[in-house]
Amino acid sequence: MIQILADGLIIGSIIALGAIGLSMTLSIVRFSNFSHGELLGWGAYFALVASTLFNVSSGVWATPLAPFSFGWGLLVSLLLACAFTAVLALALDAILFRRLRKQGSITLVIASFGAALALRNLLLFWQGGIPRYYSENLQIATAYLSRSVWGGLRVTPDQFFVLTLSLVTVTGLHLFLSHSTLGRSMRATALNPGLARVTGIDPERVMRATWLIGGVLAAVAGVFAGLTVQLRPTMGVDLLLPLFAAVILGGVGSIWGAVLGGFIVGLAESVSITLVGAEYRAAAAFAVLIAILMVRPRGLFGEKH
Amino acid sequence: MSEVALLIEGLEAGYEPGLPIVRGANLTVQHGEIVAILGPNGAGKSSLVKAVAGLVPISAGRVLLNGRDITRTPAHRMVFEGLAFVPQTENVFINLSVAENLELAAAIVKANRQERLEPVYAMFPDLFRQRGLPAGQLSGGQRQMLAVARALIAKPSLLILDEPSAGLSPLLVAQVFAKLREVRDAGITVLLVEQNVKSALAIADRAAVLVEGRERMVGTSAELLGDERLAALYLGRHAEQQRPAGGAS
Repeated sequence: MIQILADGLIIGSIIALGAIGLSMTLSIVRFSNFSHGELLGWGAYFALVASTLFNVSSGVWATPLAPFSFGWGLLVSLLLACAFTAVLALALDAILFRRLRKQGSITLVIASFGAALALRNLLLFWQGGIPRYYSENLQIATAYLSRSVWGGLRVTPDQFFVLTLSLVTVTGLHLFLSHSTLGRSMRATALNPGLARVTGIDPERVMRATWLIGGVLAAVAGVFAGLTVQLRPTMGVDLLLPLFAAVILGGVGSIWGAVLGGFIVGLAESVSITLVGAEYRAAAAFAVLIAILMVRPRGLFGEKH
Repeated sequence: MSEVALLIEGLEAGYEPGLPIVRGANLTVQHGEIVAILGPNGAGKSSLVKAVAGLVPISAGRVLLNGRDITRTPAHRMVFEGLAFVPQTENVFINLSVAENLELAAAIVKANRQERLEPVYAMFPDLFRQRGLPAGQLSGGQRQMLAVARALIAKPSLLILDEPSAGLSPLLVAQVFAKLREVRDAGITVLLVEQNVKSALAIADRAAVLVEGRERMVGTSAELLGDERLAALYLGRHAEQQRPAGGAS
């Protein structure tokens, strides 16, 4: 029981990070970006390439930081992946989405399907289809509760790291959006873009910030997914539907809604894996989504604008 | 500084290319005036002020603010030129508190927060008392006051309001318009679009009547109130309906 909850929180934290960026794109740039999942995949592989270079150099970069499976190399690679993925997101906007913005959201959605296909296949071409790992080191999960207590609880240090850093990242983002001028401008633009403009907020600057933050969060989510599961070129598209489920469930435009939505989707997946098998986990997440939307059509934190 | 605060010359503007809603409008607003733009529904009043504020594409003509050409200035740069715009609806950020609405406006223009907020709170003491409340929980009149206060934070030379009396009771309309007089007395030129002709002419120094996208009559409020052409052109039934009620339309 406790183990299902812990597994759900870990999966959920990864989904939440990806969902926040997707939610921000939806509320600020105003379209459903189906290529957002691919940013997670690219972020994960950017970090893999960088960490491989660090591992080749050996020394302090490659030595695991006990009790984790990774060393300083992966932590620096995570930062580099954030930067590269943010640049990739900004480039996508500059090359594709910005040019099509005046055509309306349907055109942007279809363009994002195309971008997703292109990005996924480029990644497959670049890195091949074989699953990869950041570290070959085996991690032994620590038992925090014996099996006799609520079924027991075993968690690896890497999983603790993922959960903790996810919460730190989300809290940092919340503080940024609540207290900085740019963060408040982003919230204002999401709420009312016309009023934001007459207040003096530059919509293009806000959109660039949205892509940048979305790219950074996607990279973090991708690296965490690679760290706790594995890296595959299709990891982005595999995570896309849970990301959308989390955004809709939490309410479009709400950071904490996306976080809670991510955790609920993660828990639903975790429960279904244990009770009915892994093949039904997406169905379980969507069953929860439908049940909640029947009660709250705007999602848990969705607001009437 | 030029005596003319706003000069609109031969302005054509509209949302679709080749389909102008504003068709060659001309208007001059002097410093320190309150000028009302009146006209029937669909006359292009809101489109005219939105075009001036950079929200509706301009296809011809020009707009000068204090002698500076702002015809092609994007909407988000207008506050830096000295023009503040209050939309008719959805004119506050409902999920932000009253204080956050005002602080955001101050932060955008990179102004000292206290220096900008204090005079605005002094003018709108109700907003100070309710500064922690989400703007979405304010009444219609309070929201309108907040919208005006938010616009004043940028210290504009020209304040444009699109139907500030829309949806308000006659009592609240009187309160909002009284604040607009205070705004003018503080040295800010006011241009407002109004359906509420009687109230608008009561506070305006001059007014322009817009029909089919261009001005048909321009004059002082007293001239327009006594002009039979105005009744024939627009006020006819509206005026008759308003008189017995003695208030807002």
